[in-house]
Amino acid sequence: MWPRILAIIAFFAAFEGILFHTDLYSSIIEPDSTTGYMEIQLRNEIRRTKLDHNQVLAVGHSRMALLPRVVNEDKPGSGYTFATIWLGGTTPRVWYYALRAVDPNARNYAAIVIPSDDYNELDFDDYQSERERDLHYLIARLGLRDLGEFPWTFQDKTLQWQVVRGMILKGTIYKRDFLDFLEHPAARIAKAHYYASDSAGWHYDYGGASENLTGLEIDWLHKTIRFPDRIPASTRRDVEDELFSKLPPDQGRQTAYLRYWYGRIIDYYRGTGTKLIFLRVPRAPISPPDAPPKLNSAVRQIASQPNVIVLDERLFNQLEHPDLFWDGWHLNHDGMVQFSRILAAEVRRVLGPPKP
Amino acid sequence: MLFNTPQFFLFLAVVLILFYTAPRSWRKYILLAASYFFYMSFIPKFILLLLALTAIDYTAARWIARTRVPHSRRAALIVSLAANLGLLGFFKYYNFFASNIAHLFHKPSDAFALSIILPLGISFHTFQSMSYVIDVYRLEQEPIANPIDYALYIAFFPQLVAGPIVRAREFFGDLYHWQRPSSGDVLRGLLLLFLGLAKKMVLADQFAQIANGYFHDVSKLPGMVPAWSAVIAFGIQIYFDFSGYTDMAIGMAKLLGFHFPVNFRRPYLASSITDFWHRWHISLSRWLRDYLYIPLGGNRHGSLRTYRNLMLTMLLGGLWHGASWNFVVWGGYHGALLSFERMFRGKRSTEPARWTVLYPLQAVITFGLVMIGWVFFRAANFHDSLYVLHQMFFVPHGAQLIPPWERILAVITLLLAVLEEKKDWFEEISLGPAWAYGAVCALLLLAVELIGFTETAVPFVYFQF
Repeated sequence: MWPRILAIIAFFAAFEGILFHTDLYSSIIEPDSTTGYMEIQLRNEIRRTKLDHNQVLAVGHSRMALLPRVVNEDKPGSGYTFATIWLGGTTPRVWYYALRAVDPNARNYAAIVIPSDDYNELDFDDYQSERERDLHYLIARLGLRDLGEFPWTFQDKTLQWQVVRGMILKGTIYKRDFLDFLEHPAARIAKAHYYASDSAGWHYDYGGASENLTGLEIDWLHKTIRFPDRIPASTRRDVEDELFSKLPPDQGRQTAYLRYWYGRIIDYYRGTGTKLIFLRVPRAPISPPDAPPKLNSAVRQIASQPNVIVLDERLFNQLEHPDLFWDGWHLNHDGMVQFSRILAAEVRRVLGPPKP
Repeated sequence: MLFNTPQFFLFLAVVLILFYTAPRSWRKYILLAASYFFYMSFIPKFILLLLALTAIDYTAARWIARTRVPHSRRAALIVSLAANLGLLGFFKYYNFFASNIAHLFHKPSDAFALSIILPLGISFHTFQSMSYVIDVYRLEQEPIANPIDYALYIAFFPQLVAGPIVRAREFFGDLYHWQRPSSGDVLRGLLLLFLGLAKKMVLADQFAQIANGYFHDVSKLPGMVPAWSAVIAFGIQIYFDFSGYTDMAIGMAKLLGFHFPVNFRRPYLASSITDFWHRWHISLSRWLRDYLYIPLGGNRHGSLRTYRNLMLTMLLGGLWHGASWNFVVWGGYHGALLSFERMFRGKRSTEPARWTVLYPLQAVITFGLVMIGWVFFRAANFHDSLYVLHQMFFVPHGAQLIPPWERILAVITLLLAVLEEKKDWFEEISLGPAWAYGAVCALLLLAVELIGFTETAVPFVYFQF
């Protein structure tokens, strides 16, 4: 009897391991899904030829507006080669594991650029440590060795259990994708291969949105916005939600979260030649009034650490203009071009000339 | 605490550990406590109802056995039957009759309605309880002396809420002559547990989405193709849902050293409706035969009485499934088909068909007839049933609702069923090489993980009965 029961465990572990704890399934995952998009970005970056050590990688979410092509093709250039892995909705926990995946020996890059929405790191309703979707972004990259840390960075006990279960039984996380795969398996495989071979070029060529908010006026005091007539109602709602969402009282939760994950990224690169450059992204189409600085914010506290460079938070204030935004948070094409050039120049300034 | 939840598996693991580590004399108490805990995990207050029925039937059976006065014996039987049928009737059928009476008097359908929650498993444990008292009355069963033993028979958690309906002699044979399950039984039990889970979560719950989507608003997808595909999806759903539950119940019982009767024998391979009822929900069919059809006279008083008895049995069997005219029609439909078969084939209709070249054709026709019956079973009301039947036969075209991979899955299960019919692969795998057993169980679990897993478990269809 016992050999048979052991055989169940052995076969299940083998099936699970071969399918989901290797690249087998993640190589055919839907490229337009959360996990798929993340995987495409990571694989493209891993595959990208890096001719020298003068590589600068920007991680981040949808507000990381770096356009690598613009700065890499500028003449004269900065001397550094820029690349980016960004994905909407991600936070430093995801970036840490993404960096570990693309830079397993922590020596591929001269610098890593990390965005901050606000150096004051105010709490908001969507508490970043409790985002279950982080598991979905990272499921293909999390291994059993991460069981000791990743699940416990969530605070909620139910969530911790779900994450542990998901990391061991990855099929439970891939379920929706797998059912979708079963609907059209051949088409899926073809799409996955197509994205694997071509998506690096599309991402490199991406230029951002062409729309703008020219004519927009914001009264920060009374929290009102006057939109130009051409702006559709849906965009108006989005902009209002983005800029005037009600924040809960700041209890330092967001700072604690960032302190932990910035700390993990710093630890990962500690003692290597890689610099970690933090910047504040342009905040809104019209600069909001400055709040008094929160001196114990994570980003301000890490500024003194070796290998960490925290850029002036006002560096991109000049881009906070309706002509350069297409919604309340995101720069448009022109804004992204300017952002990229300012960033490249600043990186060159803080890193110094590239090494031969 | 549904069978298809992690909580239930934790519960089962704890019960198994306690059961096998406790002294033998404690084990039935552990099982009874676990069964009551399981029952109370749904709606705790109904434990009182279960306890009351247990006490009534235990006492009635003791009374019947003790007295030799026929009137007194009959009175005790009537008290027991009245208690069971009265409570079943009240909880399950009161609102049905109330709405019909309201309709007769041209009042709103809820004019006499009460807010009643159906106690879980009442249809099953009342039938099980009645069979015991009737058997004692018929002198076919010794009355049980120990009330704990009797309470365990009624409440035993693997079959408490949806069967199979176990006879007293089967259960007490295992209880009084309990033996540690053989390794073969443990392996069969585990395989049944995983197979049942996969049937429920991988097959039934997937096909349920198609059937639920269609029957929620039958007019949304006109045409015979969607109608047939939804009805077939429901046919697949209800079979795998109920037989999955039963497999799990039988598997758990095996792990605890009990042996439940087979409840399904590949019903969709049946060659006739009579054959279908020898394969579908066998424990209920057996109950209806022994306690309704045969007492009504069975086939002993000529053809017309036989047809009448078949009709009555199936009408009541239909009503047992639920309080609505649709279930009555469903039962009547099957009663009529059984009567037809009896009329044309005589007593040969009960003989098992041989696997000849005609068999597949007979099986397909039977399958089609059964599917037509499911329309009444699944549709929300009689009007919807007629609408769906009209679509199935008179409105061409429409789009197929079952996606290709689910069709492939259905074909694979059909092939496995044929293999099981001819070769008994279940037994071969249970006792075959360790690698084959391990691989099959692991594949079933992987399928549950990949296809069946949901954060919120989907209840079993038969829980509502």
